[in-house]
Amino acid sequence: MGLINMIEVRGLVKTFPARGGLLSQKAVQAVKGVSFTIPDAGAVAFIGESGCGKTTIGRILTGLETYDSGEIYYNGQNLTSLTPRERQERLRKIQLIQQDPYAALNPARTIYQTLMAPLTWEAKRQQKNRDWMERRAREVLELVGLNPDVVLGKYPHMLSGGQRQRVVIARALTVQPDVLVADEAVSMIDVSLRLGILTLLQALRRDYGIALLFITHDIAAARYIGHDGRVYVIYQGEIVEQAATDELIQSPVHPYTQALLSAIPVLRGLEQPGPDRHIPLGEFALAEGNGCRFAPRCRFAEQRCRDEKPPEVAWQHEEHRHTCHYPTPRRVVPEPLEAKS
Amino acid sequence: MIAEQLPQTPLVRPHRQSFLHIAWRVISARPSRILGLVIIVFFALMAIVGPLLYPHNLPINPNAIYAPPSLRYPLGTDFEGTSNLALIVTGARYVLFAALMAALFTVFFGTTIGLVSGYFLGPADTILMRITDFILTIPGFPLLVVLSTVWNFGQPIAMGFVLGITGWGGLARAVRSQTLSLRERGFIEAARGLGLPWWQIVFWEILPNMGPYIAMNLLVSITGGIYAEVGLFYLGVVPFHVNNWGVMLNLAVFTGGAMQSPQALPYLLSPLVCILLLTLGVVLFLDAMDEMFNPRLREG
Amino acid sequence: MSLHDPVPAPEDAGIQIRNLTVSYDTDRGRFHALNDVTLDIRPRHITGFIGESGSGKTTLAMAMMNAIHNPGRIDGGSVLLEGAGDVLRLKGEELRRLHGRYFGFVFQASSNSLNPLKRIGAQLMDLGRSHGVTDLRALLREAKTLAERMGMDGDRVLTSYQHELSGGMRQRVGIIFALVLKARVIILDEPTTALDMLSQQAVLEIVRTIHQERGLTTVIITHDMGVVAEMADRVVVLYAGRVVEEGPTQSVLRHPRHPYTRGLIHAIPRITGNLHDVEPLQGTPPDLATIPTIGCVFRERCPIRAPICDTVAPTPTSAHGDGIVTCHGVDQHD
Ligand SMILES: Nc1ncnc2c1ncn2[C@@H]1O[C@H](COP(=O)(O)OP(=O)(O)OP(=O)(O)O)[C@@H](O)[C@H]1O
Ligand SMILES: Nc1ncnc2c1ncn2[C@@H]1O[C@H](COP(=O)(O)OP(=O)(O)OP(=O)(O)O)[C@@H](O)[C@H]1O
Ligand SMILES: [Mg+2]
Ligand SMILES: [Mg+2]
Repeated sequence: MGLINMIEVRGLVKTFPARGGLLSQKAVQAVKGVSFTIPDAGAVAFIGESGCGKTTIGRILTGLETYDSGEIYYNGQNLTSLTPRERQERLRKIQLIQQDPYAALNPARTIYQTLMAPLTWEAKRQQKNRDWMERRAREVLELVGLNPDVVLGKYPHMLSGGQRQRVVIARALTVQPDVLVADEAVSMIDVSLRLGILTLLQALRRDYGIALLFITHDIAAARYIGHDGRVYVIYQGEIVEQAATDELIQSPVHPYTQALLSAIPVLRGLEQPGPDRHIPLGEFALAEGNGCRFAPRCRFAEQRCRDEKPPEVAWQHEEHRHTCHYPTPRRVVPEPLEAKS
Repeated sequence: MIAEQLPQTPLVRPHRQSFLHIAWRVISARPSRILGLVIIVFFALMAIVGPLLYPHNLPINPNAIYAPPSLRYPLGTDFEGTSNLALIVTGARYVLFAALMAALFTVFFGTTIGLVSGYFLGPADTILMRITDFILTIPGFPLLVVLSTVWNFGQPIAMGFVLGITGWGGLARAVRSQTLSLRERGFIEAARGLGLPWWQIVFWEILPNMGPYIAMNLLVSITGGIYAEVGLFYLGVVPFHVNNWGVMLNLAVFTGGAMQSPQALPYLLSPLVCILLLTLGVVLFLDAMDEMFNPRLREG
Repeated sequence: MSLHDPVPAPEDAGIQIRNLTVSYDTDRGRFHALNDVTLDIRPRHITGFIGESGSGKTTLAMAMMNAIHNPGRIDGGSVLLEGAGDVLRLKGEELRRLHGRYFGFVFQASSNSLNPLKRIGAQLMDLGRSHGVTDLRALLREAKTLAERMGMDGDRVLTSYQHELSGGMRQRVGIIFALVLKARVIILDEPTTALDMLSQQAVLEIVRTIHQERGLTTVIITHDMGVVAEMADRVVVLYAGRVVEEGPTQSVLRHPRHPYTRGLIHAIPRITGNLHDVEPLQGTPPDLATIPTIGCVFRERCPIRAPICDTVAPTPTSAHGDGIVTCHGVDQHD
């Protein structure tokens, strides 16, 4: 099917209020009217720099953070109209996989206890007995590729980073989620184990129809959660470009996307830099007025960019959208060197 | 392809027995801890079985008033010629039981209030912390003196309750601040996302992380409780109903004149040494707490 | 050479590590974290140390400076630093002076190693004082210039507390600390982990320029092959406390000889190319207690394991021209 949108978000806005006192802070508008959809069993990736609001969106979706305005539809139902209790019940099916597998597991509880906590409630809801809980605990561990006999009795500190992240995913699976929100889920994991976690997420999608929202600043990783994935590029709380993963990588039209893609390290010896690679370095002024937010960092910016906010428009076809006055596709990602003999 | 290769080892599921196992391994790791445990167990036994070894009314001996230590009276006698040893042993129950109660009340109130306050924040926090500050600022000792005029402290549990209710402020503040930092941790967010009820998050997810700290507090509160009640009895502000170490100190100093004449010295020193010894036991045992309750320090 | 006579460090500070062995005392016994490591760190080169978590990268870097502390211990070997002799023989004040003159170290998670209660400038002055710098003003000026070259507002950075700086800025401050004392050898331990791609490039760019400008000996520790590929002239692949492969980066990337290096390169998610060309490395990284003591340490995860690997530890053989590879299987597999 793939036509049904499991999650549809429209015009999401979140402002963190100003904090007074000694460490006085200005109000931060972390998310400024973001709209996106997650198809049934689909894969969606958010990429962007640190502080652009990716985590905030993920936390709102999983019910850990409130939002100021906008609408969230879940299986066609507007969550905004629900009572908090009902909303909580719905959002339980959207589970967050956090970045830091070291902080995400309770150091004082064994893996067995960690899995049993949500399973107790699940069992109550479904009127199942303790036997079912034990079987389910072993089942979810096997699903994530861990041997239950080995890990159940252990404390988190006895596991490697990759194993911990698998346990975190197993714990999320105890509530039979519809969506997993993976917030930098592999960035703290050893490179050698990253691919294993990515393949696992992809397998969960394929075999159990669990949709994925993959939050990352490593765009390469986003390719591995599914060939039919879609990428949203976020800059300062706004979506600046969106397209199917490979299309976005091969022909990005927004200079910010191009900057992000340029920053991917080139594996010299195996790859060569893309011909249009350019990495904007150094500090920059924040955008003033109501022009394009990226204009102060953009090497292609014109006066119009500083004055006039670019609307979201399609590039070539409806599925590839961007907000740039002067969209130009550029080849910035590393390209494989000719295969040597 | 997604399976990791893992060495096969038998399933070890944590169960209650294994805690004793761990506890013993931790304690036996250092002789000082064993000594501490022996002292604590010794006094605990004294409090539990001690009074059964003596008749309800201890025999008096007019011929041996303030007798020095001898074979018959290993710790000497008091103003009536009663064996100090018998007084110590029979007096231990009240003192230790009240102190234990005091510690349990302190830990119970301090921990619960600190946890709830730190987890919920908002108005609940404001109110609870106001109360905590109030408890912290009221002078506990004078309050006890006042309370003693209306309350019968013959029951150790009453004494323990009053000591506990005036002493939890500091612990509550400390627990609150630890809760504040724990509640931001990933695993607590995960628990909320999984839809666990608040009490389960607070008592099953947050609390175990403070295990070592609370266990230490419990032990320290016991000694604190002993000092406080013995102090009350010593000053004589609380009416005597039963024999206990504090009463002994009071009588030794104010009736026996232990400060001026050496004859009542054994009467004075016996409870003092007991208190010091018990404190020593607690101090020696204290450093085992961290390893016993901290899963990070356990090995699998 | 008198202690108080500030002989400038020689221009080219190469390091020759010979048979270095380091062990840690854990509650399960004493284990080797580095085993018989022999390696040359060339002057004016950027050397990358790469390997999984626990492979001994940080330990090797610390041992190079004779800075292994309890429960660790250097069991043997030597570290010859050009112009200073065997670093492992120095101790106390002598060692401290050597550190000040030669080494600049950027700690792993250096953003956590700043003092939260002191302004950055004050911490810099402390650093200067502890290394006997008399002209603190010049030191601050130097730091300010460095900050500005890294695209930060120098005055603001020096008067900030660490919490007022972003992660990327803190990382750059760590690098300033390593550079102000005019060290000849710069060691950066995971300088870009947890930074986003753009900040990572900014940090790498600075390291690259300063390295070239001053002709430094630079070591970058990372588990990210991309960082090594962008930065390093030579790469050292560590596995379970052994050097399994060493050589010029491009050559190692193009023709990895050791099955572990091959596995690592194959496991990197790539931005282009066929998705099925990559595959995860089998097995899990070893921890100290499970490293085999006889035979090859990698054999449990090795796709080309042979009977000899169970009993005989491979010795380094020459590869990549002037590099090495430590594997029984190199001959039949290349
Ligand atoms: N609880 C909060 N209170 C105040 N400001 C916040 C809070 N959480 C996030 N912010 C601010 O909101 C903005 C977006 O933060 P967010 O964590 O969503 O970014 P991110 O894209 O996930 O970044 P990173 O890649 O570093 O994780 C940042 O400027 C951040 O400082
Ligand atoms: N202080 C210590 N006590 C005991 N073992 C230690 C200590 N420091 C390091 N080790 C062990 O020595 C081995 C090598 O550690 P090291 O920190 O050098 O690894 P690394 O390659 O830097 O890993 P990472 O990428 O995680 O930083 C690891 O198995 C580690 O557990
Ligand atoms: Mg984030
Ligand atoms: Mg390290």
